[in-house]
Amino acid sequence: MSVPAKLSDVEPRFFTRAQWASFLLPTLLLALVLPLLNALLPSEHLLRPSDFTLNLYGKYATYAVLALGVDLLWGFLGILSLGQALFFALGGYAFGMHLLLMIGKDGQYKSKLPDYMVFLGYKALPVHWQPFYSFSFATCAVLVIPALIAFVFGWLAFRSRIKGVYLSILTQALTYAAALLFFRNDFGFGGNNGFTDFKRVLGADLNSPTTRRVLYVSSVLLLAGVFLLYRWLTRAKFGHLLQAIRDGENRVLFSGYATASYKLFVFVLVAAITGIAGALYVPQVGIINPSEMTPEKSLEAVVWVAVGGRGTLLGPVLGAFFVNALKSWATRSVPELWLYIIGGLFIVVVLFLPGGLISLPARFRLLWARYRSRASRPDSSTFFQQP
Amino acid sequence: MINKLNKTLGVSAIALGLLATTALRAAESVKVGVLHSLSGTMAISETSLRDVLLFTFDEINAKGGVLGIKIEPVVVDGASNWPLFAEKAKQLLEQDKVSVTFGCWTSVSRKSVLPVFEKDNGLLFYPVQYEGEELSKNIFYTAEAVGQQATPGVDYLLNELGKKKFYLLGSDYVYPRTTNLVLKEYLTSKGIPESSIIEKYTPFGHTDYQQIVAEIKQFGASGDAAVVSTLNGDTNVPFFRELANAGIKSEDIPVISFSVSEDEFRGLPTKDLVGHLGAWSYFMSVDTPANDKFKKNFFAWLEKSTVPGIEKKGRVTNSPMVLSYVGVYLWKAAVEKAGTFEVDAVRAALESGVTFDGPGGKVTMQKNHHITKNVYVGETLADGQFKILKSYEGVYGEPFLKGTFGSK
Amino acid sequence: MIRSLLIVLYGFVLGSGLARSSESVPVVASGRAQLLDALLTPPARQIAAVRALIGVEDAAITPALTAWRAGELYLVPLPNGALVPATLATAPDGGDFLVAISVLDGLPVPDSASGVGSAHPLRIVPKSLKSLETTATLRRAIRDVLEVAGVADASPSVRYESIERLGQSRKAEHLPLLQARLAIEKTPAVSRALADAIAFIQLSDSSPTVRLVAIAALGEAHSLAAASRFKELLAATPPPSSEEVAALSAALKKIESHWKTVNFFGDLFRGLSAGSVLLLIALGLAITFGLMGVINMAHGELMVVGAYSTFVTQNLFVSALGTASPFLNLYFIAALPAAFFSAALVGLALERGVIQFLYKRPLESLLATWGVSLALQQTFRLIFGPANVQINAPSWLQGSAAFHDVLFAYNRLFVIGFAALVVFGVWLVLNRTSLGLLVRAVMQNRQMASCIGVRATRVNMLTFAFGSGLAGLAGACLSQLGNVGPSMGQLHIIDSFMVVVSGGVGNILGSVAASLGIGTVDQLLQPLLGAVMGKILVLFAIILFLQWRPGGLFPTRSRSLD
Repeated sequence: MSVPAKLSDVEPRFFTRAQWASFLLPTLLLALVLPLLNALLPSEHLLRPSDFTLNLYGKYATYAVLALGVDLLWGFLGILSLGQALFFALGGYAFGMHLLLMIGKDGQYKSKLPDYMVFLGYKALPVHWQPFYSFSFATCAVLVIPALIAFVFGWLAFRSRIKGVYLSILTQALTYAAALLFFRNDFGFGGNNGFTDFKRVLGADLNSPTTRRVLYVSSVLLLAGVFLLYRWLTRAKFGHLLQAIRDGENRVLFSGYATASYKLFVFVLVAAITGIAGALYVPQVGIINPSEMTPEKSLEAVVWVAVGGRGTLLGPVLGAFFVNALKSWATRSVPELWLYIIGGLFIVVVLFLPGGLISLPARFRLLWARYRSRASRPDSSTFFQQP
Repeated sequence: MINKLNKTLGVSAIALGLLATTALRAAESVKVGVLHSLSGTMAISETSLRDVLLFTFDEINAKGGVLGIKIEPVVVDGASNWPLFAEKAKQLLEQDKVSVTFGCWTSVSRKSVLPVFEKDNGLLFYPVQYEGEELSKNIFYTAEAVGQQATPGVDYLLNELGKKKFYLLGSDYVYPRTTNLVLKEYLTSKGIPESSIIEKYTPFGHTDYQQIVAEIKQFGASGDAAVVSTLNGDTNVPFFRELANAGIKSEDIPVISFSVSEDEFRGLPTKDLVGHLGAWSYFMSVDTPANDKFKKNFFAWLEKSTVPGIEKKGRVTNSPMVLSYVGVYLWKAAVEKAGTFEVDAVRAALESGVTFDGPGGKVTMQKNHHITKNVYVGETLADGQFKILKSYEGVYGEPFLKGTFGSK
Repeated sequence: MIRSLLIVLYGFVLGSGLARSSESVPVVASGRAQLLDALLTPPARQIAAVRALIGVEDAAITPALTAWRAGELYLVPLPNGALVPATLATAPDGGDFLVAISVLDGLPVPDSASGVGSAHPLRIVPKSLKSLETTATLRRAIRDVLEVAGVADASPSVRYESIERLGQSRKAEHLPLLQARLAIEKTPAVSRALADAIAFIQLSDSSPTVRLVAIAALGEAHSLAAASRFKELLAATPPPSSEEVAALSAALKKIESHWKTVNFFGDLFRGLSAGSVLLLIALGLAITFGLMGVINMAHGELMVVGAYSTFVTQNLFVSALGTASPFLNLYFIAALPAAFFSAALVGLALERGVIQFLYKRPLESLLATWGVSLALQQTFRLIFGPANVQINAPSWLQGSAAFHDVLFAYNRLFVIGFAALVVFGVWLVLNRTSLGLLVRAVMQNRQMASCIGVRATRVNMLTFAFGSGLAGLAGACLSQLGNVGPSMGQLHIIDSFMVVVSGGVGNILGSVAASLGIGTVDQLLQPLLGAVMGKILVLFAIILFLQWRPGGLFPTRSRSLD
């Protein structure tokens, strides 16, 4: 009986030293240095990132987690889910319910009920809202509700071996139907207005700079943690299996793997994690409403992944930050052109840069190498100039 | 002694005011935010408001600005995306440090920015008819409250047309829901039995009104029914098309719409709407010198405007535009009264009751941040204008109407 | 001010009116005198004076009162101080002046300053006069007069409406009038309305036998207005006699069961029409997505191109022919090919510019075309403005036909017929032309087709353009049903994908069955669950259906596994 080789012999190392450095450096910068600068420097100081900037980055970080999920499914498993925004929004709604109850009697009507329930004539809090008074229950719900929906849908879909374009369109229909449902006022989740005007979380004032910094740091740490988790998943044998399913599901199936279970597992895991991102997103932007779960939102997330670089983990993070920063800038500076910019970006990336932004350095290296190799053959150009 | 103290206080206040003014004058301009959707689904309505706001700023600047300082608009695009509205509001308040913001159309966008304005102590002027049930110290609602549009409109149906059955049809969001709740209470208090009121909602972007119209036709067969519509802009086209094709005429079953103004008529088959009713605090057809002047100046400004992508042809004016316009002038009056752009002082001046003779008649800011204004009920003409049938003068703006009719 | 003037004039008319008539001024008929009295009398007496006109037969009364009620009646002062009730019209010689048309004789009021008997009409500066005011009660009195007069109107539709209203007023005083009319009425529809109105009034008759006959008659006529009245009567205190209750309930049951049947068939028709709309939208997609495998998220925008072409065609017709031309109604016929070709052209550009590089990467074609769709939306906004544009339906698409109380709107009938025609056309092109053969060959196996000499690139291009053109046609049709604006394409895109997927990708027949099925189920669910829940249920049903039959209704059979 042979001695099994150590994992590190079979698999490449989790991170090389340089990779660790390049992972830790931005993480520390974002999670430690920026908030410290924000907290300690005087408000007009040049180096101080404003509250607004931190808040914005926090929002981008939760978006990046959403993008990572899309990428794990699409880039590594070959499932293009257009329903990821649904899980993001469900996490947001679950936590939003808790935040809404925490407003207490500080609402417009000074009632224990949330404002919208008061003016829609509710007499008492519906039963399914009751447990959301508890922070820990809400946190569980943030994980469990998206996971449960993902499980039911995934179980049905993967069992009947729906894949590719069909799955994309079905997930799109799922999130569309859910959005329609939440838009209905009768459904009891605030209809089109959703939940707003949150006041506090865990007793802390949501508007205070400290709470905002904590939320921001948690978002960045969540992003870093999810990044490591997904990195680990895609590195191990498990990760290879996922890519094998992407490239030839039937062969993997015939090799004796229950591919449906693998897909289901990843789908559910990603849904739960996306739910957490949604939960952190809501207190930072201050609103959750059904337009967060429309198919367009899911498509946007897919676009971040495509722009950043599908099938890598760094790419989606870059893509989420880049596209959203672009959006924040364009809607302020060139509002009329914003749709052209974003539309043009997709077309250009899909047509000319299939590897996304992350592949740019490699491309430049290639170009540079070509240029160099051409330059190093001085004869070829002069040769033809000879009479 | 006290006299002397008062004097010193007064002098120092004036000095402070002067200081503040000079400090601002050094900046040469005062930044004012414009927060509307210029892309996405709401661009259809909100772009007109941006246009009229830019016109108003130019008009004021041409006459020397506010307190002698020019207005510098900061236009941002909310892109019909509600979290983005909150982000843009933060940007306006925290980065651009605007003195006041004019903007928002949908209720949800207002709800989204409200916490931001309260936290950063900003000023927002909100110009579009809305459901009420809200009162923020940082928002001034030039908008029509339910009592300034819906109840006068229904009064007209009850008293002038003698209608006894009401079909309340709306898009499924908070404005129609709340308006209809109030209207139901109101109608019941007028002796209309619950069984003669039907309430129906359709989603945004609904395209198929065959069922609803078939129902209305049968509901109105008794000849004393009216439809009260709070359908939002887009869905009115399929609705009125269907209504006209089913042979329902305004004499038999009139429809009073609260979300259709002259601007929406540009995209509606107005032939199908002739005779149906509308209620607003301004119609383009209001026949006053102030309105004539407003229209003339606005259209002249449009001709010369260099704003990229601005529409120049076939433009009209409507109530939300005029309420935006009025909002800017009320703010200007308050700033001049307070002698400073400082938010708390301006708010106090506004609450003290500034007035302005607007295109739709005189408006007065009330203590509760709403404005007293005239309300008009009109019927649609084939050329997309309203003929005024009845006007109610100086209607008080009351945001909390729900529950006030029930106890009768 | 006006009021005091009126009082003065009232005296003037009463005092000198008779005297004037003897001075060889045209004799004022008694009806006209009464009318003049009603117009000029002080407001306190006005309502009674107007009511006195009920039943008075005079040709001047109806136009005068109609104008008065609409606020278009003016009192034009003559130099001698008299007032002539008149409507205003633009002068035939143009200019900024208006002329007054007297409602008493329908002739222009002459300008007496230029001599008695002058042919020159009196010229009036706009806005110099205020229209004669009315109040709500006065308008109601006017309406009563007009309704009675309307019973004898020349136009059947006016008669019909007046009779209907008189019936609903339930006033016994109108009975003789209606009965007299019934004896001479020739139009069958109006006769029926007369019978209904008489029965309706007789519901409150003092004699029980008359009441019972009326109840039975209204039940036979399936009158909806009667149904709500019956319910009131049944709930009234004191309750009617047991015999009457039985008659009322029987009649009510009859009416309700009739309308239940009507609604059922109405639902079926509405389902068919909703399905046809879906079909038209999805058909183009069934080709570009179903046959070619391109996920074109800009499909909705291609529809918008078609809709805007319709708008442009309409405007071209208006500017070429003027607004009054009867040929204007033909614009829609011209708009159909325009919509097809403009959308096909845009589709062609899209295929050449973007999609041809992505045939092997369908999921990425989804992203790129989404980008295209965003850019197109903004382009529409810049060209046509952010607001919806106004498209007026040609007159032959307006209105509806009723068959046994089921309404068939013409534009819906048109859409159903047009959808059938387009399906037939697509079938012809794909199965009966050589192009269709090539298309099917390339779609089944691109490489193999290329090997045997089919120019696959060209076929791809043409097929995509054809599918896009169909989207354009759908857009033109939608412009007759709903709004046309930059973001209208987004409303339908998900529905149309659902149709194609649940019908079975690559199968036109599947799309037909799926769209009609979805449309009908949706319309049948709507009355029970409301507009939104119906749609949500349909969506969930499709999702579940596809778990059961992943290939859709008509799956394409293939031996390949991947």
